[in-house]
Amino acid sequence: MKSTRPAQLFAIVFLTFVGISALVPRLWTPDSYETQLREALDAPPSARFPLGTEALGRDRMARLLYGTRVSLALAPAAALLSCLVAALVGGLAGLAGGWTERTVLASVDLFMSLPWLFLLLTVRAMLPLNVSPLVSLGITFGLLGLLSWPASARVVRAAIHALRDSDFILQARASGVTPWRLISRQLIPNVMPVLLAQFWIAVPVFILAEATLGMLGLGVSEPLPSWGSMLRELEGGNLRAQPWIAAPAVLLAAVVGCFQLIFPREDYSI
Amino acid sequence: MSQETLTALRANRAAENSIRAGFVHYLKGAMRGDLGESTSRNAPIADLLTQNAPATLRRLGIGLAGAWLGGLGMAILVARFRQSWLLESAVSMTAGTLLSLPAAVLAYFCLTAGIAVETVLILVLVPRVFRFSRNLLVQAYGSSHIDMARARGISETRILFGHVLRSAAPQMAALVAASLSMAVGAIIPIEAICDAAGLGRLAWQAAMSRDLPLLVNLTMLIAMVTTAAMAIAELAPLRPGESS
Repeated sequence: MKSTRPAQLFAIVFLTFVGISALVPRLWTPDSYETQLREALDAPPSARFPLGTEALGRDRMARLLYGTRVSLALAPAAALLSCLVAALVGGLAGLAGGWTERTVLASVDLFMSLPWLFLLLTVRAMLPLNVSPLVSLGITFGLLGLLSWPASARVVRAAIHALRDSDFILQARASGVTPWRLISRQLIPNVMPVLLAQFWIAVPVFILAEATLGMLGLGVSEPLPSWGSMLRELEGGNLRAQPWIAAPAVLLAAVVGCFQLIFPREDYSI
Repeated sequence: MSQETLTALRANRAAENSIRAGFVHYLKGAMRGDLGESTSRNAPIADLLTQNAPATLRRLGIGLAGAWLGGLGMAILVARFRQSWLLESAVSMTAGTLLSLPAAVLAYFCLTAGIAVETVLILVLVPRVFRFSRNLLVQAYGSSHIDMARARGISETRILFGHVLRSAAPQMAALVAASLSMAVGAIIPIEAICDAAGLGRLAWQAAMSRDLPLLVNLTMLIAMVTTAAMAIAELAPLRPGESS
């Protein structure tokens, strides 16, 4: 999308607002995400519960805000993990060259030939499904980070490859600079912008992937909320009678849309 | 459960629990045309695949055709009338909104509205096809030979079909293969949420019931299809997004 400066500014302000609300949910609701209010089961929106309560009597707004915290904190963590693996693999391929580079590239191509969501589903199914909420959180975002490095590794490899043959690196080598110093002082600072771009592109992708996994019942488990686990309510609910149950979908779309405005990309993962 | 039953069950699952042994066992069976048996459905996997594949293939065919018609049509409009910010903004905003929603949520909304499953796949793929192809077409329209063609008074229709689409064709071919991979990825949540019989729902059910033999077979099948598609894409001189 061709974004203008005001649109990007709006997106940054909106993301900051969502981030602060997620960090300090008490600004909006006094309840915790797991507090069950038995006198208010499936209550419609009111001043006390702006988004109503769900079937177990938990405040939907509180769950949405805590879920936002989980999704917005862990998607960047998974993106960081993905970038680290990509930097290691891509860096190794780019620096080593020869058969190492060809082997790494072949493995990356093989990895990328499988639809990402399918791979995620298969690997997630091989791991225990009946685990504690915190473990499910770790597994979900850990897998996202560990399975999505190939595309970034290709980009890093290309960047390292270009740098390897550049004049200043050749000059540094000729001056007797040690390999470690060359990597830490010359290569890493120059590849950092590429990695940073990959990081910011990965964040919304992971937010969407977690939401899909959550809707399929393979994401973060109850009672811990995340956008994915909250979206499962759509399946059991009646959207026409209770349109407010779509609030997590609306917030997710708004946040991912803002990321698109700030970091435009052709393809956001399914 | 008696000790004998447990021992027999463990012996049966031993090959599946070891990745190497399971894979060798799988390959030996596959050479004989035996893909094994689904542990959750107690049915031959080959039968499950043949029963479910036609519906998914039909959906993928309709979805890809619709997405290409819609996505490429919108891209041509936007690239052709790129001075019109209103058109560009409206189409880009629609594409951006569709890209911001997971396929599973789109599937749920369409299910609630009574929209066909194939339409969900089209809605998932259209913005992706649109964005890639718009970039390619805008890039092609920016070439100096297009300015030269205009200066010589060649009609816009002829420029579009004779020059712009022609120069973007190799990258478009690569994008067709890439869109197949996207469609295969999207079909899982769509079929699962819409409860539509097909390979996507089968994969989801296999994941939920940890039916590893079925998952391994589905993985192999999908890997073969997408690798073949990507290999065809490699034949194109340039990938989408790369400059000429």
